[in-house]
Amino acid sequence: MNKTVKEKKVKAVPVWMGILVFLLAFGAGIASKSIAPGWMKQYNVAWSDAIGTLKADLPYGDGEANRFDLYLPADSGKGSYGLVVYLHAGGFTSGDKAGDRDTLAWLCSKGYVAAGINYTLRTEANSASVLTQSNEIKAAIPQVVAAAEAAGYPIDKMTVAGGSAGHALAMIYAYRDGKDAPVPVVFTYGAVGPSSFYREDWGIFGLDQDTEESRVAAAGLFSAMAGVEITADEIADGSYLEKMRPIAAAEWVASNPVPTVVGYGIHDRVQPFLASLPLKAALEENNVDFQYFEFPHSGHGLQNDNAISRQWMEAIEEYLSRYMPVK
Amino acid sequence: MTLTQKRLAILLIIAVIGFVLGRLAVRAAMNLLIGGTLFGGNFL
Repeated sequence: MNKTVKEKKVKAVPVWMGILVFLLAFGAGIASKSIAPGWMKQYNVAWSDAIGTLKADLPYGDGEANRFDLYLPADSGKGSYGLVVYLHAGGFTSGDKAGDRDTLAWLCSKGYVAAGINYTLRTEANSASVLTQSNEIKAAIPQVVAAAEAAGYPIDKMTVAGGSAGHALAMIYAYRDGKDAPVPVVFTYGAVGPSSFYREDWGIFGLDQDTEESRVAAAGLFSAMAGVEITADEIADGSYLEKMRPIAAAEWVASNPVPTVVGYGIHDRVQPFLASLPLKAALEENNVDFQYFEFPHSGHGLQNDNAISRQWMEAIEEYLSRYMPVK
Repeated sequence: MTLTQKRLAILLIIAVIGFVLGRLAVRAAMNLLIGGTLFGGNFL
């Protein structure tokens, strides 16, 4: 009788108590993963007038999206300033410079003139492409520099950076257009931006298959990105690569080998990791001072490797200090 | 092991499982939302 009672008691962690403990622990688990680590806060600064002056929506062209925001640091008495341009993400089809406000505020708080530039996004109704977007950025930069100078902030060098689509455009500007920049481009950084278009690297979209369907799909995607018509036959014989060259940043590294910090997720299902390796090879071949971070557990959001994220941000700070020190 | 110790051990195991599942739930959601590995992640 006693034994029976005892066994019953051993099982008797009350169900409600087990559920309560589980729910509390589940919530704690969610919170521990959701809250950004403390070190991240220093790179996202809430904008305030104490940091400087924000001039918003300055025009640089006739297009509705041709606008930029200029963040001018509070210390306005210097003879020259470094400019950091940060281009927003969004798959070339969405996003806005306002989404990077905290990043731009952080850069401004460090003493840089910072700028976020919008570009015409691709829609069903227009023919915007990575090529036209990169040309808009190229047209915008001299006007950003001029606007800063007109406000009393002469620019002597610049960094161009971005995330995802913005990173692609930043690299195109740095390597392809940097020589024509109004001030020297001394550094470029960013993450998960596409920079090469060998279709065998784009297997995540099925573009690497030796089938007509795969070639047609590759022709469709690459045509949209490059802004020129590419046929399945050109995909088959490899001649499409020449048409992709204007937007393939990795192909331009030799033209203007700018110091670089980049990050890519190995499990990226948007910008295939394999497509980032030609960039790494180009940076090595051209003896560029670069750091290339692989995020082994992450996809496009670089979301599962906080320790490497920290190293990546610290490298960005180090390179900014090295190539564009605040005077 | 006393009955109290057993209860605490069971509750500790439940808590650890809950904590890990909570973190995994967030990770899965983040993978899904920002183009990670879940379901191909081609959402951007």
